[in-house]
Amino acid sequence: MDVDVDALEPALLPSRIQMAFTLAYHVLLVPLGVALPSLTLLMEGIGIYRKDPVALKIARRWSVVMAVQFAVGAVTGTILSFEFGILWPRLMGRFGAAMGLGFAIEGWAFFLEAIFIGIYLYGWNRLRPRTHFLLGLVLPPAGLLGAFGVLASNSFMNTPGGVTLGANGQVTDVDVMGALFTRALGHEFWHFLVALYLTAGFMVASVYAVAWLRGRRDHYQRLAFAVPFTVAALLTPWQLLIGDLAARAMAEDQPQKFAAMEITWQTRDHNPEVVLGLIDDQGEIHLGLSIPALDSILVGYSPNTTVRGLSAFPADARPTTVEANITHLAFDTMVGLGSVGAALSVWYLWVIWRRRRLPDSSWFYRLAALAGVGAYVCVEAGWITTEVGRQPWIVYDTMRVSEAVTDAPASFVWSMLAALVVVYGVIAYFFITLLLRLSARWKREDLREEAPEVGVPYGPRSGKFETGA
Amino acid sequence: MPDLIAFVLLLAITAYSTAGGVDFGAGIWDLMAGNSPRGREARALIDHAMAPVWEVNNVWLVLAIVLTWTGFPILFQQVFSSLYPLFTFALLGLVLRGAFFAFRHVAEEPRAHRIADVVFGLSSLLTPFFFAASLGAIASGHLVPFSPMSVAFGLVSLAATAFSGASFLVGDARRYGAPELVVHFQRRTVVAAAALIAVGTFALGVIWWQAPDLLRSMLAGKGLPFALATMILTPLATFLIWRGIFRWYRVLTVAAVGSMVFAWAFAQSPYLVPGQLTISQAIAPPPTQVLLLVVAAVVVLVIGPAMGLLYYLDQRSALESPES
Ligand code: HDD
Ligand code: HEM
Ligand code: HEM
Repeated sequence: MDVDVDALEPALLPSRIQMAFTLAYHVLLVPLGVALPSLTLLMEGIGIYRKDPVALKIARRWSVVMAVQFAVGAVTGTILSFEFGILWPRLMGRFGAAMGLGFAIEGWAFFLEAIFIGIYLYGWNRLRPRTHFLLGLVLPPAGLLGAFGVLASNSFMNTPGGVTLGANGQVTDVDVMGALFTRALGHEFWHFLVALYLTAGFMVASVYAVAWLRGRRDHYQRLAFAVPFTVAALLTPWQLLIGDLAARAMAEDQPQKFAAMEITWQTRDHNPEVVLGLIDDQGEIHLGLSIPALDSILVGYSPNTTVRGLSAFPADARPTTVEANITHLAFDTMVGLGSVGAALSVWYLWVIWRRRRLPDSSWFYRLAALAGVGAYVCVEAGWITTEVGRQPWIVYDTMRVSEAVTDAPASFVWSMLAALVVVYGVIAYFFITLLLRLSARWKREDLREEAPEVGVPYGPRSGKFETGA
Repeated sequence: MPDLIAFVLLLAITAYSTAGGVDFGAGIWDLMAGNSPRGREARALIDHAMAPVWEVNNVWLVLAIVLTWTGFPILFQQVFSSLYPLFTFALLGLVLRGAFFAFRHVAEEPRAHRIADVVFGLSSLLTPFFFAASLGAIASGHLVPFSPMSVAFGLVSLAATAFSGASFLVGDARRYGAPELVVHFQRRTVVAAAALIAVGTFALGVIWWQAPDLLRSMLAGKGLPFALATMILTPLATFLIWRGIFRWYRVLTVAAVGSMVFAWAFAQSPYLVPGQLTISQAIAPPPTQVLLLVVAAVVVLVIGPAMGLLYYLDQRSALESPES
């Protein structure tokens, strides 16, 4: 099946790989892009309210990270929008009038974000603290709106709606609200939003968890750990709930994807929940742990609930075995790590609540140090579940990936992919070097400056332009 | 309404050509600055002038793309199915530019710094050339990536970016009180303007040869007012800068380059692709049009003032680079 399609559409494979690569890369930048401004403002607010110069210093440092990573996000995001044309020209040719709506909203939201990040970053010295803070308040809603736009488009791909199709499949009429708010948006938006905030929280906190393990335990380090970690810990349990709702919506709206997530072959009741494990072309499950009837219970709260299996769909309208296995493992990874994160959060909140101070177990900080990376893995796994599980459809049950792909020769797409891999590698290298250097410089600054006013970010500095600088 | 949306799209393209052009032009001068002490000063100025606003310009590009696929899906499909090589090169320039602009702020070793400078400069050439080349390919009506028209448009765009870049750098040099650099960029504005006029004349010849109808409506039809405007404003702005009359010259620069884009677009209207696809054939269904106009209104009402605030704060030096 796959082979036939490849023969017809030579560029299909490299296009899919390229799309997956660039999206997976871009999405790594999104959590900090959307959620770090909020954390930074929270910290700045604490600093202003409590007149705490340390908090202001932290906020100021985070704002630098925010700006650097926004720049990388902007570049990789621009690439993505061109890729829709270069790789999938027919997708937008056919559905642009509906799918594009979300991006149109996203476009101006990012616009706003780009402007205000500039003002926020470069305004620390010369703007009054309150003005600076208030101008920063534009950032979180702008980020939210941007995420909304992208997810509206993605939800349209998962559960298309709001369009009237003509005889040749062309969109003849659009219901704007219907196309923006498709069924999948309900869970995708909230699930993703929470994912962003908890990922940003865990990631930022994990940097300071490492510092804790290395013996730095002063006010600066505690504050910088506690604020983001608390945000993440408060959100994580909700994420399990929303994820559960998402999975149930999936069973209803995208049954092939759900069957792939759970590697269910036969439609049946008392369907077991398979943890890990792989399915083969005959529908046999290998390895893995099978928990009787749990899947049925999770979907319909009763072992008698019928769950549709992959074999209920024509072979060319469901994910292949390989795709089903990828979807399944990605889903299990997300759920597994999400549960670990929730347990860690409960531990943290428990200590805070009972003892009114931060945990002091090294094991806690070891796990916290890993939580950042774990959250990113969750985000990637979640997207793999969504995207690979939708195969072979680019717009669910309506347009195939193979119908959307470009006519460009495969060699062209492969070369472009190779170039992008190299360039993105270079960007990643610069990005990481830059962050490490910033961190090293800040550490040096901290060692030098002890006088209170030196660490205060506010106040005139010689920012004059000097020739020959 | 379809015409209005096409006009909004034109505005986004024009904004990118002018604002982005200033930016890319600065990159071109960065490349030409060489490694002499004066060159390094020029480069420091360019760096300083660009830092707070450089990613904002990118958004015009994104807006143009989004408007195209949402408002004119068929145009998007046709253009990208055929012109993808041009876009790929333009993009390559864009990523390299962004990455190496950031990198040269951290490169401490002189050699690495030098490499970053060169890559940054070269990529500033790629992007304006290839984006404009795609407009040229569209204007020819044939959607063939590499043709005399696409090359001619690309060259004009390079000259125009160099021109607007130099003109704005004169302003930045004045603002930072660096008189030698003012002279430095005054000279370069004049050189670039001469190049622009030469290449522009050459491009008119190519259009005459390849797309006579387009030339006719450029010089005798709807494009005429804008073509005239370019022909008058470019020398005028250059004259002001050359004589050191530092008033209005930046506005005139933008107007000159913007008129050039308008002249092309109005000349080929109501066609999106001359002879092949008109605005009314490609337009999305009415509800989508309404949403796009709402978005355009929001951009004007919200983004306009925000942009204004950014430039206001920037020009008043309320925004300072954190030393990094
Ligand atoms: C920190 C991140 C994170 C965590 C802890 C979880 N997820 Fe998730 N999940 C995502 C991050 C994520 C995501 C990357 O944000 C996705 C991709 C698409 C989307 O909307 O969210 C996603 C998608 C996604 C989907 C597919 C939605 C679709 O295709 O429309 C399902 C069914 C779940 N998740 C279910 C869960 C469950 C049951 C979890 C409980 C343990 C869970 N997720 C934890
Ligand atoms: C609005 C958001 C998104 C859109 C419009 C979108 C669109 C697409 C398209 C056009 C493809 C290629 C066709 C295919 O193979 O399915 C694809 C595949 C893919 N996308 Fe998405 N995507 C979105 C979000 C994401 C994100 C954020 C990720 C992050 C990791 C992602 C991961 C993937 C992966 C892994 C594939 C490859 C699937 C495969 O080849 O089997 N997607 N997506
Ligand atoms: C769900 C997945 C996505 C989310 C939540 C998301 C979010 C973001 C965010 C927050 C930024 C700002 C940069 C940053 O803060 O890091 C950004 C940049 C960008 N993204 Fe994505 N993105 C996603 C997927 C996509 C896709 C599929 C496209 C393709 C059209 C895209 C296009 C862009 C563009 C064009 C920019 C640059 C905007 C600018 O210049 O400011 N994004 N994205």
